[in-house]
Amino acid sequence: MSNCRYTAVATWRWVANDDNCGICRMPFDGCCPDCKVPGDDCPLVWGRCSHCFHIHCIVKWLNSQQVHQLCPMCRQEWKFKE
Amino acid sequence: MDASRKANFSAVSNPNNGIKTHSPLANIKPGSAKKIVIKNLREKPKLPDNYQQETWGKLKGAVEAIHQSHAIQSSLEELYQAVQNMCSHQMASELYDELKVVCERYVSSNIQQFLTESIDSEQFLKQMDHCWQSHCRQMIMIRSIFLFLDRTYVLHNSNISSLWDMGLELFRLHIISNTVVQGRTVDGILVLIERERNGEAIDKQLLKSLLRMLSDLQIYEEAFEHRFLEATDQLYAGEGQRLMQASTVPNYLHHIDRRLSEESERLLHYLDQSTRRPLIACVEKQLIEQHLKALLQKGLDLLLDQDRISDITLMHQLFSRIRDGQKELCLSFASYIKKTGRLFMINHEHDHEKDRDMVQQILDFKERVDNVIEVCFQKNEKFVNAMKESFEHFINQRQNKPAELIAKYVDSKLRAGNKEATEEELERLLDKVMVLFRFIHGKDVFEAFYKKDLAKRLLVGKSASVDAEKSMLSKLKQECGGHFTSKLEGMFKDMELSKDIMLAFKQHMTHVEAPGISELTVNILTMGYWPTYTPMEVNLPEAMVKYQAIFKKFYLGKHSGRKLQWQPTLGHCVLKAHFAAGKKELQVSLLQTLCLLMFNDGDEFSFEEIKEFTKIGSHSEIVQRNAEIGELRRTLQSLACGKARVLLKSPKGKDVDDGDRFRCHDDFKHKLFRIKINQIQMKETQEENTNTTERVFQDRQYQVDAAIVRIMKMRKTLTHNTLIAELFNQLKFPVKPADLKKRIESLIDRDYMERDKEQANQYHYVA
Repeated sequence: MSNCRYTAVATWRWVANDDNCGICRMPFDGCCPDCKVPGDDCPLVWGRCSHCFHIHCIVKWLNSQQVHQLCPMCRQEWKFKE
Repeated sequence: MDASRKANFSAVSNPNNGIKTHSPLANIKPGSAKKIVIKNLREKPKLPDNYQQETWGKLKGAVEAIHQSHAIQSSLEELYQAVQNMCSHQMASELYDELKVVCERYVSSNIQQFLTESIDSEQFLKQMDHCWQSHCRQMIMIRSIFLFLDRTYVLHNSNISSLWDMGLELFRLHIISNTVVQGRTVDGILVLIERERNGEAIDKQLLKSLLRMLSDLQIYEEAFEHRFLEATDQLYAGEGQRLMQASTVPNYLHHIDRRLSEESERLLHYLDQSTRRPLIACVEKQLIEQHLKALLQKGLDLLLDQDRISDITLMHQLFSRIRDGQKELCLSFASYIKKTGRLFMINHEHDHEKDRDMVQQILDFKERVDNVIEVCFQKNEKFVNAMKESFEHFINQRQNKPAELIAKYVDSKLRAGNKEATEEELERLLDKVMVLFRFIHGKDVFEAFYKKDLAKRLLVGKSASVDAEKSMLSKLKQECGGHFTSKLEGMFKDMELSKDIMLAFKQHMTHVEAPGISELTVNILTMGYWPTYTPMEVNLPEAMVKYQAIFKKFYLGKHSGRKLQWQPTLGHCVLKAHFAAGKKELQVSLLQTLCLLMFNDGDEFSFEEIKEFTKIGSHSEIVQRNAEIGELRRTLQSLACGKARVLLKSPKGKDVDDGDRFRCHDDFKHKLFRIKINQIQMKETQEENTNTTERVFQDRQYQVDAAIVRIMKMRKTLTHNTLIAELFNQLKFPVKPADLKKRIESLIDRDYMERDKEQANQYHYVA
């Protein structure tokens, strides 16, 4: 008996340290409120402070901050993790 | 006046009018004309003194001749002239009175013949008819002679009736007003009609003529109609009672129909048109209205059960004639649907067979009912609405289950291997199912089960047709909106994305050495769209693990920031197997594969050994111990106890128990080359079912919470009952008040709202 064709099934989810986005409170398995479908169009980003958000959410947040760009969770200066 | 006078003169002066031109008038210029004065005769011409007696004598002779049916002595013209002359000499009044006296004497003499008892009823009627006919004839003749009198004297004196009316008056007064004569006449007519109603042939002409007589004499209504309607009423009251007992409903309906058309005939042939309404109303009342409820109770269910279209049509027609008839029919129709529908729904023994057939039965029933509405009730709006309400009522008698069964029914139709329907038939079927879907309250249950089944169809590649799937999806979208189908659409999108990724991956594999297996296809699912699957760790052969690792690296390289989780319960394989009888290709699930591959390295294994090696159901202490052990049992059962037995089990039996031993079936024979054994994946297990249902209820809790908070936020303060009422309005699925109460308690605990300090049944929103 030998295996000739294997059809596997896998599920993907974002690598995240929380279930929900700290800004929009939507699950990371979903997308931010402005997007319709989760996927590469609505990715997650990590800060150096090791908090992650939907990219749309954090960008919106940063744009609304006039002086310092701080992480909304830990109030440290926000730097994108490379 | 002036102008016309001038015109007259100018006519006289006209030379062409035959007057000789040397007339002195001819030379006179217009304007200065002389007047012509016409003078009366000096002496009035006198009539002879006995003129009146003589002339009247002549006329009287003629009238009497007419009455006696003799020839008239004088010529009609002469008589007419005589009347005219008498009228012009102011003798009209006397003439009229004299004539009346003569006629009266004659008419009153006619009564004698009707007072003899000896003649039988029909003879009597004929005689009466004859008398009437000749009276009419004579009066017409007399009127013709006395026409001038009729047109001048009578016309100018409104209090004097015309000659014809006078004749009627005399006839009425002297003949028909006689109680004996009138009684005999009317009795005779009624007897005749009764005989006709009993099916005898009668002289319709005679009846018609006599009834015309009565109405001409203006006693039709008082003398005849009342008694006739009374008799009719009695007859049909008795007949209705009798036939309701003795006859079946369809026969009775046909009888009513026949009676109605008979009465219409009667109206056409001899009855006065004014009788139409009361007569028909009487028949309708006695035959239909009195027995309406009983007819519906006794007959409707039976007619509908036997689908007797023409009888139902007749019933609808007849019932529509009377007030509330249609309404009653509609009510009974609705209760029939509810009653019949409930029989499909009730399933106390939880008989799976019955549940499986339920949707098909309801669909067939719906079709039958639709046909009845279309053909028998002419698509009457009332009936259509009643039907919809009734369906909604009985389908939701059983909570949740119908939604689940409809979803499964759709699944069975959309699954590959369902070759019984063409694309168009399938499309029509889906439309019909959508109609049922519309009736269902718990649409979320449908969605959950539909999603689960769709996932299986997509992952195992068992979908009958992509077009049909898409069509069903668009129907659902149309019905419930985009939010309802967004996840389902996401599943299709995942399948397409996976295809693209697999193309790229194949490209990639041309540079990498494939480990052992010839091909790997991966379906990558987005977590949120698909049903939640419990991940299971199993022991995969090294080649497969390596292949998976290659893919994982490839995928994560393309999509950073993601995690990939393998779902062994969903995978499937094609195996090449060498049996003694030849090569076979086996289409099996991944778990089946793991079990089968073990037998490459040994001849016989025990259940425990297989469990140990494959690790199927291994970390059972964490999640659902029974469910996963069940998984391995089911897998082995499918291989050793199913239709195609590639493994042999000892001891033999339907179920797999601990300690059972398995051996490869080397003499395996099958008529096909490619054999599918992975049916088991398509089958729903009890746990799956429970899980899906539980998940729906979980989701509903959130919806209930959200609705409560929404309402409270808007209204700030509400009593318990009002809040519950509002919730029932808002929530689209069936809920029990007790469950709502639990959710309210939970929200109070979580400080979303609070109880009023004095009134325990009042809540306040907490911002």
